[in-house]
Amino acid sequence: MIEERLFSLKNIWFVGSVGAAASVLVVSGGLAFLVLPYTERGNRIAGIWDAICSAAGVPKKSSQSETVASQTKLSSVVLNSDMFKHPAPVSIGRGATLAQQCAICHGPTGVSRADSPNLAGQYPSVIYKQLHDFKTGARVNAVMSPFLASMTEQDILDVASYYAFLPRPPGYHPDTAEVAPTIVESGAPMRGIAPCGSCHGGIENKAGSPWLEGQSAVYIKAQLHAFANGSRTNDISLQMRNVARQMIDKEIDQAAEYYASKPLTESGE
Amino acid sequence: MLNSKRLILAHFWLAFALFGLALLLGAWQMFIRSPMAAWIGNPEWYYRSLTAHGTIMAYVFPTLIAMGFGYAISESSLKQALIGARWAWIGFWLIVVGTVTSMIPVSLGLASVLYTFYPPLIGNPFYYIGIVLVVGGSWIWVALMAINLASWKRSNRGVPVPLAMYANVASSWLWGWTAVGAALELVLQILPVALGFKSTIDAGLARVFFSWTLHAIVYFWLMPTYIAYYTIVPRAIGGKLYSDSMARISFVLFLVVAMPIGIHHTFADPQVGAGFKFIHSAFTAIVALPTLLTVFTICASVEIAGRLRGGRGPFGWLTALPWQNPVMLAVAFSFIMLGFGGAGGLINMSYQLDASIHNTQWITGHFHLIFGGAIVIMYFVIAYDLWPHLTGREIRNLHLMRVQLWLWFVGMIVTTFPWHYVGVLGMPRRMAFFDYTDPAIAPDAIPVVMSAFGGFLLVVSAGVFFAILYKSQRSPLCDAGPYRFSVAVHPQTKVPVALNGHALWIALMIGLTVTNYGFPIAQLTVRSDTSVPAYYVGTRK
Amino acid sequence: MTGMAAYAGVHQATMPQARVETVDPTTLHLGGEFVESNLGSAIEPDGSVTVRAIGQQYSFTPQCILVPANTPIKIRATSADVVHGLLIQQTNVNAMLVPGYVSVLTASFTQPGEHLMPCQEFCSVGHEGMWGRVKIIPKEDFLAIAATQRRLSCVE
Repeated sequence: MIEERLFSLKNIWFVGSVGAAASVLVVSGGLAFLVLPYTERGNRIAGIWDAICSAAGVPKKSSQSETVASQTKLSSVVLNSDMFKHPAPVSIGRGATLAQQCAICHGPTGVSRADSPNLAGQYPSVIYKQLHDFKTGARVNAVMSPFLASMTEQDILDVASYYAFLPRPPGYHPDTAEVAPTIVESGAPMRGIAPCGSCHGGIENKAGSPWLEGQSAVYIKAQLHAFANGSRTNDISLQMRNVARQMIDKEIDQAAEYYASKPLTESGE
Repeated sequence: MLNSKRLILAHFWLAFALFGLALLLGAWQMFIRSPMAAWIGNPEWYYRSLTAHGTIMAYVFPTLIAMGFGYAISESSLKQALIGARWAWIGFWLIVVGTVTSMIPVSLGLASVLYTFYPPLIGNPFYYIGIVLVVGGSWIWVALMAINLASWKRSNRGVPVPLAMYANVASSWLWGWTAVGAALELVLQILPVALGFKSTIDAGLARVFFSWTLHAIVYFWLMPTYIAYYTIVPRAIGGKLYSDSMARISFVLFLVVAMPIGIHHTFADPQVGAGFKFIHSAFTAIVALPTLLTVFTICASVEIAGRLRGGRGPFGWLTALPWQNPVMLAVAFSFIMLGFGGAGGLINMSYQLDASIHNTQWITGHFHLIFGGAIVIMYFVIAYDLWPHLTGREIRNLHLMRVQLWLWFVGMIVTTFPWHYVGVLGMPRRMAFFDYTDPAIAPDAIPVVMSAFGGFLLVVSAGVFFAILYKSQRSPLCDAGPYRFSVAVHPQTKVPVALNGHALWIALMIGLTVTNYGFPIAQLTVRSDTSVPAYYVGTRK
Repeated sequence: MTGMAAYAGVHQATMPQARVETVDPTTLHLGGEFVESNLGSAIEPDGSVTVRAIGQQYSFTPQCILVPANTPIKIRATSADVVHGLLIQQTNVNAMLVPGYVSVLTASFTQPGEHLMPCQEFCSVGHEGMWGRVKIIPKEDFLAIAATQRRLSCVE
């Protein structure tokens, strides 16, 4: 057999296949870039070049139409997973000094004897965000807000690193072998409630969501009610309000009691 | 001649062992999300299982089958010992190591990101490294297939390449290029973030890269099945292949048009321009062509078998077919499932119709019907057909084989038909549980239970499959003779040079990838403002 | 086939969004189009309605979208964190929400009623709990509420 040349204009397979592919490409490309952009409703095309760019998907910044501003002060914290990856020892040390003023409510080792939140071992992004929100006024509390007036950004970072460094306290109800209530374990899908542990640790942690094990039931209840009735609005884009206002009072009680009583050592695995 | 029997058997055994494990996981998932089970206490276990199931079934199982079958085809159709057998073993072990490497973090719950990856969710780096190793191992096979064919061609100038090898090499090139999309995504985008060198990633670009792999990979899964249709089925049922050229054309068409159409998986995405969505949609329409050619050619070949066996009249040949032959049964089942699945596929490829079922359970039903049904049933046939030649022991219990194939067929229909139905009702995919007490979801409950029972049938069928292979180990040694492929009605003595090599088609495949993907990838790659923070999974405390 | 796709592409209501738009998911809450007070349904000068929504782990905001029947609707949505999907059951409304990009959809609903709006793409554990709702009400009722509120939703 004489080897016919494949990549040659004389080869019918070469001409045919390349021609067919090219014509599909040209026809569909022509329709796609030159015809379709003009047929779409509400798409204002400023000339042929604009038509081609929009069909090709050249991104533009989101349009700035008139927006309705919030009546309340919202959180201005931008969280990312990079924060607090490697806290410097000096930051933890500074934090320890600054945290002395917190001890009266939050306990000298970060474990509260009142109904204030425990801070020992709390995720640093949580403490950072809440302190920042107290400072900007996105979250208001008669006791906390005045403290923040004098704290700098660096102070906040240091305190967050310090408390994150402290060990989480052991559980204090070692005999309870209770089953987690449905609202905690499975949430309520049809009301848009995911399992608590999918953000708050246990299953998965989402930056900004606190570790809840061992927190005071009174405190958890108060916060859930505050989110539900809209008196607390510093959760970014209603993330927690969406959940809390779908919870019935009984579920709020169950969730609070569960987290308050669960022994810490058995949790989270 | 089959020299590398151990190599081929190793591929098949590993493939089916992993398949068995992943199938159990799949059946458990169907049960746990159905109304028969209580809501799973920790949904992360569901997603963990789903990640393992998808990763094994999509990447490891079909790749090993294609490789093992490919080595068998190379030796028996070219009648030359495999060149580079040592490299083939290295490829095999890379896949073993890769699978273990990726499954350890998955089973520890450190990489529950599902097999589609979808950044900015980022799991443990070893999960991705394992997959890269699997792909690397399979690329050794791609290279070996090309090398073996080239060497044969040098010493057989002017002789047409045997159809089985021609198709096999087309399949290997398709995989070689298809895997590049996901490989680029893993190596350039995901791994730097998973390893901590970077903390932002362009989620839109990752989806475009993934779509490059996601569609053509389905055709790669399909390739061993199509090779079996053309080169095993006519011979096994006592007929002849209707047309050798038709077969070659459909394989090269897959090579060209399976690739540049993947963006139809991102129809509903915001990061791809409408123009490219349209172009991909147009090319997607063409991909039906090689399948239609195949259906026509195989039906004609089966008719030839029927008539050779004395069938008369327009339908008489149907009853004359050897229905007792498991291969005949399997190919009929496979065609039925391919028909239903293909009809569903036509819905998916259209932008407008896709909108109502995108990412619903319809999609899961669709690819289980095509892959788990039409394709995997032919993997069973390949194993049954090849086994005596590999082990030297006959599989004698045809009755059990028919039972196994029937169970698989019925199981797959019972699994996937309700699945499609709840998809049309708008049931989303990939959820660990559903509240069937809600009136809006209550109509899904009964179909989901039916579907789960279909899944249990599939497990039983796989059990029978393993029993058949196990029992064959204990039958007396026999000489199965040389492994043969079907003969065409008019054997080719001369083939156009375009259909005797792959160069033109590979060039078209790469060219069309550049035209259809080049701009969407390039423009997102050069932008920095579309990268978003990564979300690392697996932080429990 | 190409012709059919082209014909359908031109003549049917469901079209791929015309332009690719980008947005920074980390600063949605600081201001601009996707700040929480601007989310929900807004009446445009031409009488159409624009719905703005975000998906985040693991809810949509607003959780319940309120729209009038028989009115051209434009949905502008994005993600604040990972890839989500927005699917309104029994309708053709179905889009991916990819962080960094704005998804734009057009729709029009004829029948008043309520639909579920699940997230249709795996967005990490908790995905199974991400269900929103869409409520379609008669146009008059919608306009009556719009007389007192600039951004509407059906969140109780």
